[in-house]
Amino acid sequence: MSFDADEEILQDFLVEAGEILEKLSEQLVDLEQNPDDSNLLNAIFRGFHTVKGGAGFLQLEALVNCCHSAENVFDTLRNHKRRVDAELMDVVLETLDYVNVIFDQVRNKEALTFAPPELIRALDGFALPASQAPAVSSDATVSPAVEETAGTGEHGDITDDEFEDLLNALDDGGNSAQLSSTTSQEASASDSNEITDDEFEALLDNLHGKGKFSGPVGAPADGNKKSEAARPETPEGSAPANGGDDLITDDEFENLLDQLHGKGKNPTQDKSPTQDAGGAAAKPAEKTESKVATTPSPQSGKTPESDNPAAAAPAMPARDSTAAAETTVRVDTKRLDDIMNMVGELVLVRNRLQRLGSESEDEHMQKAVSNLDVVTTDLQAAVMQTRMQPIKKVFGRFPRVVRDLARTLKKEINLEMHGEDTGLDKNLVEALSDPLVHLVRNSVDHGIEAPNVRERAGKPRVGLVTLSAEQEGDHILLVIEDDGAGMDPEILRRKAVEKGIYDKEAADRLTKTECYNLIFAAGFSTKEQISDVSGRGVGMDVVKTKIGQLNGMINVESELGKGSRIVIKVPLTLAIMPTLMIKLGEQSFALPLVNVVEIFHLDLSKKNIVDGRECIVVRDKVFPLFHIKQWLVKGAAGAPPPTDGHVVIVAMGTKRVGFVVDQLVGQEEVVIKPLGRALQGTPGMAGATITGDGRIALILDVPSLLQRYG
Amino acid sequence: MKILIVDDFSTMRRIIKNLLRDLGFTNTDEADDGNTALPMLKSGKYDFLVTDWNMPNMSGIDLLKEVRADENLKTLPVLMVTAEAKRDQIVAAAQAGVNGYVVKPFTAAVLKEKIEKIFERIQ
Repeated sequence: MSFDADEEILQDFLVEAGEILEKLSEQLVDLEQNPDDSNLLNAIFRGFHTVKGGAGFLQLEALVNCCHSAENVFDTLRNHKRRVDAELMDVVLETLDYVNVIFDQVRNKEALTFAPPELIRALDGFALPASQAPAVSSDATVSPAVEETAGTGEHGDITDDEFEDLLNALDDGGNSAQLSSTTSQEASASDSNEITDDEFEALLDNLHGKGKFSGPVGAPADGNKKSEAARPETPEGSAPANGGDDLITDDEFENLLDQLHGKGKNPTQDKSPTQDAGGAAAKPAEKTESKVATTPSPQSGKTPESDNPAAAAPAMPARDSTAAAETTVRVDTKRLDDIMNMVGELVLVRNRLQRLGSESEDEHMQKAVSNLDVVTTDLQAAVMQTRMQPIKKVFGRFPRVVRDLARTLKKEINLEMHGEDTGLDKNLVEALSDPLVHLVRNSVDHGIEAPNVRERAGKPRVGLVTLSAEQEGDHILLVIEDDGAGMDPEILRRKAVEKGIYDKEAADRLTKTECYNLIFAAGFSTKEQISDVSGRGVGMDVVKTKIGQLNGMINVESELGKGSRIVIKVPLTLAIMPTLMIKLGEQSFALPLVNVVEIFHLDLSKKNIVDGRECIVVRDKVFPLFHIKQWLVKGAAGAPPPTDGHVVIVAMGTKRVGFVVDQLVGQEEVVIKPLGRALQGTPGMAGATITGDGRIALILDVPSLLQRYG
Repeated sequence: MKILIVDDFSTMRRIIKNLLRDLGFTNTDEADDGNTALPMLKSGKYDFLVTDWNMPNMSGIDLLKEVRADENLKTLPVLMVTAEAKRDQIVAAAQAGVNGYVVKPFTAAVLKEKIEKIFERIQ
């Protein structure tokens, strides 16, 4: 094939076909719920069809191969020759997986691997009608009008010559009655349903010829079909007298034929476009004949247009209408990232100006600054909005995940999803995808019991996993809930001791909630038998780390026998973070506000020592107390602790601790700047930022800070 | 010559557009299905229509029928892009008044041949 697959088109294809594939995976799972939804069947058919078409041009044979067979299956399904069943779904879903694999190979510019032939064979098997009758059976339903032209060749393809003949016959006035008889004969001879160019030409000839005929039109049964065909064909031969409505009676059709007959061939053909078209077609054609595949010289490209000012002029209205239709623009996310960065810088400048403005006596200055503040806030919100994507993008995968898992584990599970339209930052959507998949798999694998176990426990056979998302202030709450077995704190405690995470005493002191959160500890897996689904004990702590990296929190609640509930809280965006600015000595630090629970002033002489550790009691709760100044400020380590100071209670999961700080500055939105390479990975540091007074503040990472020093 | 390309898959529209450009046809517009194409055709003075068959909302064959039913568009040459040369489909298209068809994937040379054939017949 001489079409040169230029990179840009390939990229377009990857984006657009990627969307289709994503949608297909959702649609396929929907289909299992509504196997008879013909709109859905059509949509899926079209999805595979479209991907195949594009892949064909780009010479992605492996992709064509897969999609083609899948498309055939759905062609059979949408024509109600077969019903969707679980085996079919398994094969189709597996095919989609392969399509995605090949698609990724295309994206990564790797060599493409073909789907296993067994899979394609299985698909082809499903493409046959349910009766297992050979595909020919479909020919039986073809209307006579169709059979007409089906003929001419024993092979299925229509050739160019045949098509020409067809057209000629139409022009010459082939008798439709005769036509239908000859062609139905031919049709019986033909055993395939593909048409060749020649056949098509012959077909056109036949059809055009019909215009001259005033005789009876085939069998009465054909009436409808014929009239439908006749109306549109008229322009080819001449001007029709009637072109408005879709339905036409036999009598009208007769009249129409008479009129056509009288007018002869092609009288009303609009001259200018035809000639121009002919000329245009011919001119560049000559030039490009020997080098069709290469891009044409600009001249040959321009010829038709400049030759035809008449055609160029009316282009205006059409362009307007397209402009009205195109309301969306595709933008590279890189550009959005850049804009977000610049807005971040602007926020810093705003913070700085605000500080200066409040110090200044000038009223006009203050007004301008507060104006800037409003505009910056709006701009920031608007830019964030452009980066928002519905969580649906992640949720969309789950019906499939749950379905496949439930089938392998022989469980019966319904998945309910709420708040799929909740938007959050694109980067977050991507980053959340894997942890969420892991949690959902866990719910299905460990949470929901087998159907017979559920029945014995007096629960409905079918388990329920609920997935929901909602916005809460500048955070998103994600909840994964199941009505499964729940967790037993005692077992968790025992496990923790067995694994050496806690000693017996410490484990006994853990609260229920702390026990549940043990599942996030590294190397903790309570399942005796490790399934291939989850339970390797590496997953949950990775999930927790990942959520932590997103400045998020994760929490588990559970009730034995009733089910478990995992709550994830993540900020709406990663680029700008609300923080509490504190001072240790002369140095500023930023504590992520998500971690901050409360702040208060405390007389530090009231602290207690428990287990060799400093603690404070707030409202009958005990919090360990840490002097972070000793960890973070040079030369402060040996200094005697202050007698009174500010305490910030921070939370990580269920754990709460108090940090003693010298000064509380206030709440500030900061733009996170990564640390230089030499400093990257420093425990306790999430990054740095520029504060309102123009100084640099380190952003603290509470979990890693405690891990390192606590 | 002003050409309207109708396909719901924008990548495909670009491919066809590029192929037509290689053949020297640079005055092309795009529409994503029959419903969008029809008003454009009615107001746009197009000389040639290249349409995909399989599209949501209004398919290529329905678009063709609408075109043939319109007093001003009934002579508009139409090239149908299809995935397979299915006999019954092509016959239905021919009966609906299509001037030519081309099977995906195709090269610029094939497209050129198809277009030339269409205009030969019209003249």
